[in-house]
Amino acid sequence: MNQSLRGDVEMPNILCCYKWVIDEAYIRTGPAQALDMSVVDYKISDYDKNAIEEAMLLQERFGGSVAAITIGRPDDTKGLKDALSRGPQKAYFVNDPSFEKLEPAQTAAILADAITGRIEYDLILCGEGSSDLYAQQVGPRLAEKLGIPCISYAVAINVEGSRLKVERKTEEGLEVVAVPLPALITVAPDINTPRIPGLRDTLAASKKPVEEIGLTDLPGPYEARIQTVGIKAASLTRNGQKFSADKAGVKALVEALQKDGAL
Amino acid sequence: MDFKLSEEQELVRQNMREFAQTYVDPIAAEIDENSRYPEEVIKRLGAMGWMGMPYPAEYQGAGTDYLTYAVAVEELSRSCAATGFTMSVHTGLAAGPIFYFGNEEQKKKYLTPLCNGGALGAFALTEPGAGTDVGAATTMITKDGDDYIINGTKTFTSNGPNGDIYVVFGWTNKEAGGPKGMSAFIVPKGTPGMSVGGHFKKMGIRASQTSEMVFKDCRVPKENLLGQEGMGLKIAMGSFDNGRIGIAAQAVGIAQAALDESISYAKQRVQFGKPISKNQAIQWMIADMATEVQAGRFMYMYAAWLKDQGLPYTKEASMAKVWCAEMCSKHASKAVQIHGGYGYCKGFKVERLMRDAKITEIYEGTSEAQRMVIAGNVLR
Repeated sequence: MNQSLRGDVEMPNILCCYKWVIDEAYIRTGPAQALDMSVVDYKISDYDKNAIEEAMLLQERFGGSVAAITIGRPDDTKGLKDALSRGPQKAYFVNDPSFEKLEPAQTAAILADAITGRIEYDLILCGEGSSDLYAQQVGPRLAEKLGIPCISYAVAINVEGSRLKVERKTEEGLEVVAVPLPALITVAPDINTPRIPGLRDTLAASKKPVEEIGLTDLPGPYEARIQTVGIKAASLTRNGQKFSADKAGVKALVEALQKDGAL
Repeated sequence: MDFKLSEEQELVRQNMREFAQTYVDPIAAEIDENSRYPEEVIKRLGAMGWMGMPYPAEYQGAGTDYLTYAVAVEELSRSCAATGFTMSVHTGLAAGPIFYFGNEEQKKKYLTPLCNGGALGAFALTEPGAGTDVGAATTMITKDGDDYIINGTKTFTSNGPNGDIYVVFGWTNKEAGGPKGMSAFIVPKGTPGMSVGGHFKKMGIRASQTSEMVFKDCRVPKENLLGQEGMGLKIAMGSFDNGRIGIAAQAVGIAQAALDESISYAKQRVQFGKPISKNQAIQWMIADMATEVQAGRFMYMYAAWLKDQGLPYTKEASMAKVWCAEMCSKHASKAVQIHGGYGYCKGFKVERLMRDAKITEIYEGTSEAQRMVIAGNVLR
C-alpha cells in the first residue's frame, strides 16, 4: 500500500478488473433454442464499465492512479483500447490462447497470480457480476486469494479518514460499511452512469501503455472446476387459455394454476 | 486488400454510436418536428472533439484520417441526418477550405475555434440563380485599399442562421471567368453589411439550419482572402470533393437506419398469422436493402481511403455520392412500404428517413452534377 487515506490525502492506486464479453445483442436463437454465436461482437461487461467509471470518479476527486486489468486471448486487444478510452492510464493484459470460456474460479486464480508481486494496488474495483455469466464470484474469490477485505454491491464509495465508507445495496435497504485499504469492492450498476468516451479519449487510448502478462509468467496451472455442458435460450410459451372475469372464471384459473404446479 | 476497419476506427464508430443513441435519438423526432437547431448536441460534439476530426492537433483537431471521420458521420446520421449534415458541412465545407487553402494565421484564428467546438462553420456559395451552374453567380467582390467589399445574395446557406465563421464566394474578376475570376473569403459572424435571413422550412433535415444571406457593402480585410485571388472555383470544387464523401456517408447512415427499422418492424408486425418478415416479398426488399447499404458503405470508404492515401479521388467521391444518395432514397421509400400505413405517419422513424433521404440527391452537387463529373473523368 502506498499511502493511507486521511481526509483529503491523495487517493492510492486503483486497479479495475474488466471482462471482454459477447455483446448479447448479437446472439441469435437457432433451432431447438440453441444459441447462435457465429456472428457476434464483443464489449466490456456492463457492470465493469461502472467499476472503471467509479475508479475515474474517485481519481478525479482524490487523485492517484487508475489501471485496468483483463484476461483474454491474445487477439482480444480491442477491449484494451475501449477500457483505456474510458480513462485508466495503463492496462494489464493477461493473455493466452487458452484463456477463453474461463469459469470464475479460474479467472480469480489467474488474476490473483497476475497481480501478486507485480502490480501495486490499494483498491481493486470489479463489477458485481459479468454480463454473460453473472456468477458474481470473481470479486469475492479474488479478494480471498489476495487476503484482502471484500465489499460487494456498492452503490456509493466515499473517503472517511483513513478508510473507505461504502454504501452497499441489500434486499432490505442500504448497509453502510467502512473498510481499511487495501480492499476489493464490487460495484452495482446504480453507483454511476459510465461516461461515453469522447473522440480525444478514444484516440489517446492507443498511446497508453499496456503491460502483457503471459501464461508462462504465471505459476499455474488453472484447471476448470466447473464444466459448462450446454447453453440454451430461455423461452416463454403461452398456452392461450382464457378465463372469464366472474367467480367461475377465477375458480377455473386457480385450478389451472394448481394443475400446472404454479400454486 | 484489407476490408477491416482498425480497432481504433471501430472504437470511434462504437463511441459515436453510443453518443448518438444517448444524446441524439431521444430528440431527433422533436428537432425534426420543430425544425429546431440542436445547439446542445452540437456543443457537446464540439466539447468531445468530434467537430474537428480530420484536422491536426495543432489546431485542436483530433488528427484522424478522413475515413474515420466519414464513419463517424455515418453513425451520427443513422440517428439524425440533420445533425450528421450539420457536422459534415462544418467539417468538410467550412473547416476544409480554411485548412487546405488558408495561411497559418487564418488557420490559427479560424480553424482552431471550428475544431474545438467554439464556432460553427458555414459555406455560402449557392445563389438564387446559381446552383449547379456556379458560374452564374452574381455576387461581386471589389478591392478597396486593404479591404474587399462583398455585394450579393446567397441562398441555401447550410448552417447559415447559426454560423460563426462563413466561407463566402464571389467574383473578384468577372471578366476572367470561372476558373480564374472567383475568390473565397472568410467572413466572421457580425461583420457589418452581412445579414442572415430566416431559416428555411424544409421537407427533410429540418433541424439543419438553412438560410438566405445578403451582403451589402460588406467589408472584409484582405487577410481574409483564402489562397489567392481567382482560386475561388478551385477551392469550391475541392471542398465539394471532401464534402461529397461526407454526404455519401450520411446517405449510408440514413439507409442503415431504414434497414434497422425495417428489420425490427418486419419481425414484430403480424399479418395473416405470422410476422411479415416470413414473407418472401418483405425478405427480398430487406435483402436488397442490406446488400446495397453495404455496397454504399464500401463506396464512400474507398473514396475516403483514396483521399487518405493522397491519391486522386474526385471521380470516386462523385460515384459514392450519387450512388449512395439514390440508394438511400430508394430504400428509405422501401422502408416506408414495409411499414405500410404506419410508416406514412409521424411517430415512425421511417417517415422522417424518407423525407431526409431526398436531399442527399440534391445538395453538395445534384445527382446530375455528379454524373457530369464522372462522365468528364471517364470520357477524357
